[in-house]
Amino acid sequence: MSTTVALPARPVDRVRQVGTAVTVALVLWSLLDLDIAWSRLLELPADLARLGTVLFGDLPFERFGSLVAAMWESIAIAWLGTMIAALFAVPLSFVAAENLVGRPLAWAVRQVFNVLRAIPEVILAIALIPIFGLTPMAGVLAIGIGSIGTLGKLFYEILEGVRPGPIEAADAVGGNALQRLRWGVVPQVLPELSSFVLYRFEVNIRASAVMGLIGAGGIGDDVAQALRFKDFGVAGLGLIIVVVGTIAVDAVSGAVRRRIIAGPVSPAVDTDA
Amino acid sequence: MTTPVTDPVTVPARPPASRFAVAGTVAALVLTWLTAIAVDFSFADLVENLARRNLVVEGLLQPDVTQLWSERSRTAFVETLQLAVIGTATGGLASLPLALWATDYGNPNVPLRTLVRTFNNVVRSVPDLLWALLFVTAVGIGALPGLLALFFFSIAVVSKLTADTLDGVDRGPIEAAQASGAGLTAMLRTAVVPQILPAYSSFVLYGFELNLRASAVLGLVGAGGIGSRIEFFRGRGEWSEVWGLVLMFFAVVFLVERVSISLRRRLV
Repeated sequence: MSTTVALPARPVDRVRQVGTAVTVALVLWSLLDLDIAWSRLLELPADLARLGTVLFGDLPFERFGSLVAAMWESIAIAWLGTMIAALFAVPLSFVAAENLVGRPLAWAVRQVFNVLRAIPEVILAIALIPIFGLTPMAGVLAIGIGSIGTLGKLFYEILEGVRPGPIEAADAVGGNALQRLRWGVVPQVLPELSSFVLYRFEVNIRASAVMGLIGAGGIGDDVAQALRFKDFGVAGLGLIIVVVGTIAVDAVSGAVRRRIIAGPVSPAVDTDA
Repeated sequence: MTTPVTDPVTVPARPPASRFAVAGTVAALVLTWLTAIAVDFSFADLVENLARRNLVVEGLLQPDVTQLWSERSRTAFVETLQLAVIGTATGGLASLPLALWATDYGNPNVPLRTLVRTFNNVVRSVPDLLWALLFVTAVGIGALPGLLALFFFSIAVVSKLTADTLDGVDRGPIEAAQASGAGLTAMLRTAVVPQILPAYSSFVLYGFELNLRASAVLGLVGAGGIGSRIEFFRGRGEWSEVWGLVLMFFAVVFLVERVSISLRRRLV
């Protein structure tokens, strides 16, 4: 005994179809219009293999010390830049949180964050290099200014998520505005704030390594110079140090962040306290 | 026995600050001090340099926004958009298998999985401009190194975000697919990909936004697009033109992002 079951028609998602069509059209147009000798791609594996050989084939370990020092400078640029950004972002984010100040003021401050967020650090560095010369200070300020926007945005989002309970409690025992912030808000947000600062520091290490490529100090400078003068071994060693250094700092910073967010294992048996 | 009228309340002892918090604060301060030495930080220099008259800021105050319509800048700008489109499309496509093969259910072979994960991590640790510089060194200046740089940069962004989403998929459909005898690819296609497709599409769009921004700076190291024009005017010290291009570029980026963000909202 067999019955025929009519399958329901497959649902049609118009938006999805249009989206796919537009995307495909855009990609095709770009592929056809772009002035690239696509046949070059066939030689790419050979080119890369050659580049790999000259970069990593014969590493000049006598330059190891100076390159590690340059990486330390990159890390220093990132850290100082992040600290400067945090210094500005924390107070600004308090006036960007709608639950702490009025809407118009919060809106205005947010627009400042948006503009700062939109500018890539490299563009800031381009503007700062003529002012500070080819010094790490150009990099520090580029990162400092560039990170205010991102940190500020993350901060006010955290601030808007605070539970009102502790603030009310501070009110109830007669706390003034400052005490309300100090005891009602800050303890709630401090772990997340500091963990975001560390996260931004990790991001900024990459940014500071990159800014060296256009002359703003740090190990990027050494790598770019080495590539320009075809001193490939130095560039190769520099790249290895960038990758290993970045991963190492990430690991340490990540562990600290996890500890900050997780808190002590158990408040009752806190061996740290 | 007399009871005092006002009952003295013993305030509980204030808990000592956790050793971790103290150590963290001290470490942060020491690090700030050490890094300040490393970069020769000085407030006096800072103020002096900023107060000095300079052409950069003067150019910023009078940006030449018509520059974008000049023949060569317009061509460079269109090239930037096309590089971002192709770089995102190809890199985004490559990210899906790379993210799937980095999961325990998508790649039961431990050594291979470690290999894919290591590859993803290394790709992620190389910044966009460095990719560009490497490819410029490998294949010469032009749009091709820019495209290759954006390809890898997209993989870095999209594979990471997709991998995070893959960690949280519902395992039920996977078991169901395996129970019905699906092979690895069939299982991934029917049980995993449908779950993450909206998030994944949204990540690709996000990657496009990042690529568009990144493509502006690729030209600074010779990898084509609008950045090469910016670098050209920067080299000649024509800051009005530099800022004109930068401002117009970001106006366009802003519009594209608005569209992309509203699309992403609809997806997720």
